[in-house]
Amino acid sequence: MASPIKAYNSITLDSRISSTLRDSLHMEFLADVSLLPGEERITDKDIIYICPFSGAVKGKVLITNYRIYFKSSDTDLTVLLDVPLGTISRVEKMGGASSRGENSYGLDITCKDMRNLRFALKQEGHSRRDIFELIFRYAFPLSFSMPLFAYITQEKYSENGWNVYKPVEEFRRQGLPNNKWRIAFINKSYDLCDTYPPVLAVPYRSTDEDLRRVAAFRSRGRIPVLSWIHRENQAVIVRCSQPLVGMSGKRNKDDERYLDLIREANDTTKKLTIYDARPNVNAVANKATGGGYEGDEYQNAELVFLDIQNIHVMRESLKKLKDIVYPHVEESHWLSSLESTHWLEHVKLVLTGAIQVADKVSNGNSVVVHCSDGWDRTAQLTSLAMLMLDSHYRTLRGFQVLIEKEWISFGHKFSSRIGHGDKNHADQDRSPVFVQFIDCVWQMTKQFPTAFEFNELLLLTILDHLYSCRFGTFLYNCESSREQHEVRFKTVSLWSLINSKVDLYLNPFYAPDPGQVLYPVASMRHLELWVSYYIRWNPRIQQQVGPVVIF
Amino acid sequence: MEFSEHIKNANVEDVVLRQPLQPPVRGTLCITGHHLLFSDREDSSSQLLLLLRNIDAVEKSVENLSGYPGFLSKAGHSERTTGSSGTITIKCKDLRVLQLDIPGMEQCLNIAHSIETLSCLDNVSEMYPFFYRPADLRLQEHWGLSTPAKHYSQMKALHKKWRLSSVNVDYSVCPSYPPAVIVPTSIDDETLKKAAKFRQGGRFPVLCYYHQKNGMVIMRSSQPLVGANKKRCKEDELLLQAVIDGSDKGYVIDTRSSQQVQRARMTGGGFESKSSYDHWKRLHKQMERGKALQESLIKLVEACGDESHNMDRWLSKLENSKWLSHVQTALSTAGLLAECVERDGHSALVHGYEGTDCSLLISTLAQLIMDPSCRTLEGFLALLEREWIQAGHPFQQRCAHSAYSHARLQQESPVFLLLLDCIWQLWRQFPLALGFSEGLLLQLATEAYASDYGTFLCNSDQERCALGVKDATHCLFQNLLRPTERENYLNPLYEPNELAIWPSVHPQSLQLWRGFFLKWTQQARHLEEVQGEIRNMVIEWVRVTQGDAATIQ
Repeated sequence: MASPIKAYNSITLDSRISSTLRDSLHMEFLADVSLLPGEERITDKDIIYICPFSGAVKGKVLITNYRIYFKSSDTDLTVLLDVPLGTISRVEKMGGASSRGENSYGLDITCKDMRNLRFALKQEGHSRRDIFELIFRYAFPLSFSMPLFAYITQEKYSENGWNVYKPVEEFRRQGLPNNKWRIAFINKSYDLCDTYPPVLAVPYRSTDEDLRRVAAFRSRGRIPVLSWIHRENQAVIVRCSQPLVGMSGKRNKDDERYLDLIREANDTTKKLTIYDARPNVNAVANKATGGGYEGDEYQNAELVFLDIQNIHVMRESLKKLKDIVYPHVEESHWLSSLESTHWLEHVKLVLTGAIQVADKVSNGNSVVVHCSDGWDRTAQLTSLAMLMLDSHYRTLRGFQVLIEKEWISFGHKFSSRIGHGDKNHADQDRSPVFVQFIDCVWQMTKQFPTAFEFNELLLLTILDHLYSCRFGTFLYNCESSREQHEVRFKTVSLWSLINSKVDLYLNPFYAPDPGQVLYPVASMRHLELWVSYYIRWNPRIQQQVGPVVIF
Repeated sequence: MEFSEHIKNANVEDVVLRQPLQPPVRGTLCITGHHLLFSDREDSSSQLLLLLRNIDAVEKSVENLSGYPGFLSKAGHSERTTGSSGTITIKCKDLRVLQLDIPGMEQCLNIAHSIETLSCLDNVSEMYPFFYRPADLRLQEHWGLSTPAKHYSQMKALHKKWRLSSVNVDYSVCPSYPPAVIVPTSIDDETLKKAAKFRQGGRFPVLCYYHQKNGMVIMRSSQPLVGANKKRCKEDELLLQAVIDGSDKGYVIDTRSSQQVQRARMTGGGFESKSSYDHWKRLHKQMERGKALQESLIKLVEACGDESHNMDRWLSKLENSKWLSHVQTALSTAGLLAECVERDGHSALVHGYEGTDCSLLISTLAQLIMDPSCRTLEGFLALLEREWIQAGHPFQQRCAHSAYSHARLQQESPVFLLLLDCIWQLWRQFPLALGFSEGLLLQLATEAYASDYGTFLCNSDQERCALGVKDATHCLFQNLLRPTERENYLNPLYEPNELAIWPSVHPQSLQLWRGFFLKWTQQARHLEEVQGEIRNMVIEWVRVTQGDAATIQ
C-alpha cells in the first residue's frame, strides 16, 4: 500500500465530523431542515458546493427567504451549510457558459462573517440564472423594496427582549437624576439631534436653551451628554461629537460654558479631560470640513488624543486578516502576517484608550469622549470603559443593556456599517467597528475568566445576528429610524432569543466581584487573535469541547 | 566543604532589593554556600531565599560617589568605602530578574564574585540537594516512581513477546541506559551486546511504549554506526526484525532530515537503509536541537523581556525566535509517531543522533497523545521518570545555563523545557484530558534548572548511582505526590478519556506559554490567581454535587 503518512496532520480522520459541525451554524438542522416560523421555501436545486476544506461536494441547495441551506447527497461525507442570507455581502457569477475546467461555472458568494461560499452548476441551459437572481433578491431585499426577514418571521419567545433596556430605569440604577444631573426629554421627538435617543442626562444647571445652542456647535447636534456616573466619586463619562471649530477656529461660548458645567458637576475634577479618539493629525484635518477639536479656549480642560484609526483603516485591516485566514491560513509566516494586518494593534489601541478613560474616572476625574461624529470610536471607548468600571455590565442582562445603550440608542450606524439587505457591498460606510468592540470584550473575558457572567457563545451569537437580519436589534442607524419603522412592534429582539435560553450563555466560572475595576493588559504580549471567531470555519481549528474554553 | 573561601562578605546590611511585582525593600543580604538570603526584619513576607544554582547571570555596575560623602551611608557604617555603591542585577533561570543596591563598592564586588562563583560550581556532590534535609521528609524512602523493571512487571500483556534484560546491570553495555531494559524475548543478551556496539553510545533499540489497543510498540535508540563504508550489524537487524515479528513492517522516525543522515555517515553515524532493514520504512522529520534550540530560547526570552511599550513588533520578534515553530515541529513529529502506532497500526523506532534528546521528546509526547494512563498526575511523573531520568537525558549538561547566561554555550539545550511547553499546548487544547495542572509544568520547568531535590541531578542513572544521589537526596516526584502537595498539581476539570488526543499543530492553534515566559508580569500573576479561584470553585462544586448525590442515595 502507498504510505498513508506523509506529514502529521491532525485532521486526517476527524475532518468529516468536524466539517459538519463547523459549517453548520445550528446543530438542530443536522437532522433535516427545520424552518423558522414565517420562513418560506423559495427554491431548491442540485448543486456542487466547492468546500475549501473537503473539495467539491455534490448536494442540494435550498433557498428560503431567510437562508441558504446546503446538504451533501453523499451519505459518507456529510457537509452542511446553513447561512442566513443576511450574512451575504456580495453574490457574483463565476465563469461563463464556455468556461473550461471542472466546476468553473457557478456562483461566488462573499459573506460578512469571514468566509466565502462557492457553488458550481452544470454548464447548460443557463442553469444558474434563476438561482443567482433569487439569492440576489432575497439577500438584498432593501435593494428590491422588499422587507427584511425580521419583519416576516413569526417567532415567539417567552421573554420579550425589547424590555431589557429602559433608559430611565438604567439612569435610576446609576443614581440619576441627582442634584448635579437631570434627565432631559428635550429630544423626545428627535428635533435636537436626530441620531440621539429621546432621553438624555445633562448637567442640572444647563437649560434646554443651553442644549440647543451647544447642539449648533457640535457635529450633527450630538451634544455632550452623560453615559455613566461613578456611584462613589460622582465622576462621569460624557460622550459627544467633535466641535465645529473649522478652519477659522470658531469659538462657542455656550459650548465652553457647558463643558465647564460638566466639570463643575464633580467636586474633584479640577480639569475636565477630553479624550479625542482620533490621531492628532486626523483631528486637525477635520477642521477642513468644519470639524476640529477643543483648543486652549476651553480653559479648564485638557485634551488627549488616543490615536485610534478611522472606520476605513479598520475595514482594510479586517480585510487583510480575512486574506490570511480564509480559506487557508497563511502558515509559513503566521505571526508576521498577522502583525502586518495590524488588527491586534488596533484592538490594543482601542483597549488602551478605554483603560485611560476608566482610570481617570475611577480616580474621580470626569471625562468627555468624542471622535468625529461620536458614533464609532466613541461608542467603543465609552462602552469598554463602562465594562471595566461597572460590574453590572459584566452580567448577561447588563451587557445587553450596555449594547442597547451605548451602541444602539446612541446611534452607531449599524445599517450603514453592516449594510443590512443592501447590495452595495463596496459602500465606503461599511466598517467592522462593532466586531472590533466585541473582540475587545473577548480579550477582556480571556484576561478575567471569572469576571463575566456570560460566555464566548454569547459573543459569537451576537456577531452572527449582527448580520442575520432575523432580529430587529441591530437594524437601522438610530432610534428615530427605528421608531419610524416600528422595530419594537414589528420585529423580535435578539435578547428574546438569548434570554429564553439563558443557560447556554452563562459562564460556569463567574464569580461576581462588585466594585472591582478591571484593567486589562493591553500590551501586545497579552493579546491574542480570537481564533474561534475569525478562523472558526476552518475545521483544523480544534479544541476540546467541554464546559470551558477559557484558558 | 570549601564554600567559605568564596564568601568574603557573608552579611551586608542596608541593601535595597528590587524584584518583580513588589515594591523595593531595604534589609540585610546574606550569602551561604547555596543560597542568597534577604530579610528586611520587619515584614517576613518580603524575605527572599534564592538558590544560587537558580542564578543564570550576574551583572554588576559600581559607582564611586566619593565626591559626595555620606550620600548613601547611614550612621554606623562609616567604615565603608565612603559614598561608593554598586548595583548587582541577578538574572535567574526561572526568568526572574532581581536587583540589589549594595552600599560600598568593595562589598558589592565581593558579593557579585561570590554569587558568580557559587552559582556555577559544577561538582554535583556539593550541590544543594545533598544538604537539603527538611524535617518532614526522611531519606531513602522510595526514590523514584518508575523503572523499566517496574513498568515491565505492571504490563502483563508484554510478557509473552518481551522480556526484561539485565544485560546493562553494570552499565557496561550502555553507560546512559538504566540497568534493566525491555527487549524482544527472542533476542538474547549476547545479541544485545553486539547490537549495542553498532549504536552510538551503546543505545541499542529498547521498548519504551506498548500500545495495548493493538500490541504495537514504540522503540527508541541512537543512530546506527553505519559509517561511510556502509557497515551492517546482523544482531541489530535481528533485534529490529524481532520487534515487528508477525507484522508486515515498522516505521523508523528519524528526527533528522535525509541530508543530515547522509552527512552523519561521514562521521561514523548513519541510518537504517532499505537494503539492510527491508521491513522498516524510514520517515524523516528534521528537528532543531542543541545550540539552535538554546539560541531560540535566548531570543524568545529577550523579546519577552523587552519592556519598550511602543509598537515594538512583538509578533515578528516572537516569530523570529522560532520557538513556536520548534513547538510545532515537536508536536507534529510526535503526532506522526502516534499516527504510525495508533492509526496505521505498526510499531515504530524513533531516534536522531544520540537518542537522548529529541527522541525522548517525541516518544514522551506520543505517549501522552495515545495513552490515557500517562495523563494522570502519577502516570505523567512516572512517564517523565522512565523517559527522561532513567533514559539518560543529560540534565546536568542541558540545564547548566538558561537564557540569560553570558557563559559560552557548551552542552546547554532547553529540550526538556520544550517538552513542557508542548505539553502545555496539549493541556490548553484539551483542558479536560490531562490530570495535572499548569502549575505542575511550571514547577518542573523551575526544578529542572535549580532544585532542592536530587531528581534532575546528573546525566544518567550510572552517574546518579556513583554519587549516591538516590541515597543522599530527596526525590522531587515523590514529594510532588505527597498528600499535602499533590492537591496543588491536580487538574480539577480532569475527566479520564480513553481516546487519543490529537493536537492541532497549525500555527494559529499554538500560543506562547505566557504562564512561563511572562511569569513575572502582573497579568500572568493575575491569571494564576484566577486559575486558583476556578480550581477552588470546581472542587467546591464537585464536593457539593457529590454531597447531594450522597443524600439522594
